Amino acid sequence: MSLCSPPLSAAERQAISAAARWYARFRSGSQTEQEQQAWLQWLADDQLHREAWTRMQQVDEQMAAVPGRLAAPTLRGASHSRREVLRGMVLVAAAGSLGALGWRSETAQNLLADYRTQVGERREVRLADGSSLLLNTDTSVNVRFDGQQRVLELLWGEILVNSVVDPLQRPFRVDTRYGQVLASGARFLVRSSAEGDQVAAVDQALQVSPSARGAAQRLDAGRHLQLNALGLGPVALNDVTLGAWRQGSIIAINRPLGELLADLSRYRRGVVRCDPRIAELKISGAFPIDNTDLALAALHSGFALTIKRYTPYWVTVSAA
Amino acid sequence: MPADDLSLRSAVNTLYSEHQSWLHGWLRQRLGNACDAADLVQDTFVRVITARNAMEIREPRPYLSRVAKGLLIDLFRRRSLEQSYLEALANVPEAEYPSPEEQAILLQALLDIDRMLEGLGSKVRQAFILSQFDGLTYPQIAERLGISERSVNNYMAKAMEHCCLMQIRMQCS
Repeated sequence: MSLCSPPLSAAERQAISAAARWYARFRSGSQTEQEQQAWLQWLADDQLHREAWTRMQQVDEQMAAVPGRLAAPTLRGASHSRREVLRGMVLVAAAGSLGALGWRSETAQNLLADYRTQVGERREVRLADGSSLLLNTDTSVNVRFDGQQRVLELLWGEILVNSVVDPLQRPFRVDTRYGQVLASGARFLVRSSAEGDQVAAVDQALQVSPSARGAAQRLDAGRHLQLNALGLGPVALNDVTLGAWRQGSIIAINRPLGELLADLSRYRRGVVRCDPRIAELKISGAFPIDNTDLALAALHSGFALTIKRYTPYWVTVSAA
Repeated sequence: MPADDLSLRSAVNTLYSEHQSWLHGWLRQRLGNACDAADLVQDTFVRVITARNAMEIREPRPYLSRVAKGLLIDLFRRRSLEQSYLEALANVPEAEYPSPEEQAILLQALLDIDRMLEGLGSKVRQAFILSQFDGLTYPQIAERLGISERSVNNYMAKAMEHCCLMQIRMQCS
């Protein structure tokens, strides 16, 4: 019999269904002597029953081959079924809304975005109107330009936008999860992460409006603010640490180690863990993001921290 | 070679030469990476070849992008599973850490299982994982999920039937 026989017959399907019911009874551990006898009889009745039971055993063996303590949390964590993913995509397409799938970088809508960078990648994109975009690591952007408007949708990650003034006078807008940024001819940074969004005006004022309650606010050049589900946060002055990624580094000035490592791990596949006992340790310096191993080495040599690698994907930083 | 095979082959060839670079661009834009995109172009055409329907494709680009989208979703699920696997691994004591070879095998096994569970309702899936991998008894599962023991039993039967049918389907593809 070939592995891939034609579609199952009704009898085969019935046999599998019955075998599954027997399996469930056995697994309960509370099956009776009577049931045991009935099962033996069922097996003896038909070759199809025996084949179906063999299949049950194969599936059972396949499950038993993986250690439960790893399998259980892994399977629970990855519960995006294909249907869920597809439904999410349909919702996004229908409503044009963000966040239907939860807010992670690797949701299908991010993966299917118009422009996307991988972890550790930076890329410049030129848009149809002459504006340009620099995408930082792990970033997804959709572009919607038409006769009336120029809209970028930042799904996840960080962008530096160089918008140009449009001869057609179409407004230039960036939509994020928590609000909108209006600009024309301005250079500005927008970042969207699990914690919320951040907008920084570089050379000209912007207009930022929250999705939540609250009025739009003017953000002057050289200033930035955060926005989240509650609305706009306070305005602060930009400093050298902001946007240092364009030059390929993270600049830290008295920054808690935990925060710095969280930032560094944006540029690195896998997990960078900080021993909670030293998470508040203040660090200053410039750390390369194009080679995060070098950055970790600098933490080791400059701050006497221990870098432990379980796998290339799993790094723990602790006190010496 | 039968005449059918010849014309199928030429249909696939035409499809490939006329649309592969477009498809590569389409995928690269979404993946941001030429290597992954090239892999998926390859996989897309493998699907087209094995489906043996290249001659009936009326609108090649929508068709190819539909197939490619399915593969992108698979890739996405694979990465999502890898991520939660890494998180699960973090809680394993160092002494019990699987070797890289063991890990590769484990991850593949988990991907297969994840695919088998695809399409199960959330409660059924939860009950099944609690029984198979957490080793909970039916009464414990019933309490955890706030359902009757009878339901746990029915869910287990349903899940096993589903896994079995999925396993048969996976052997075919």
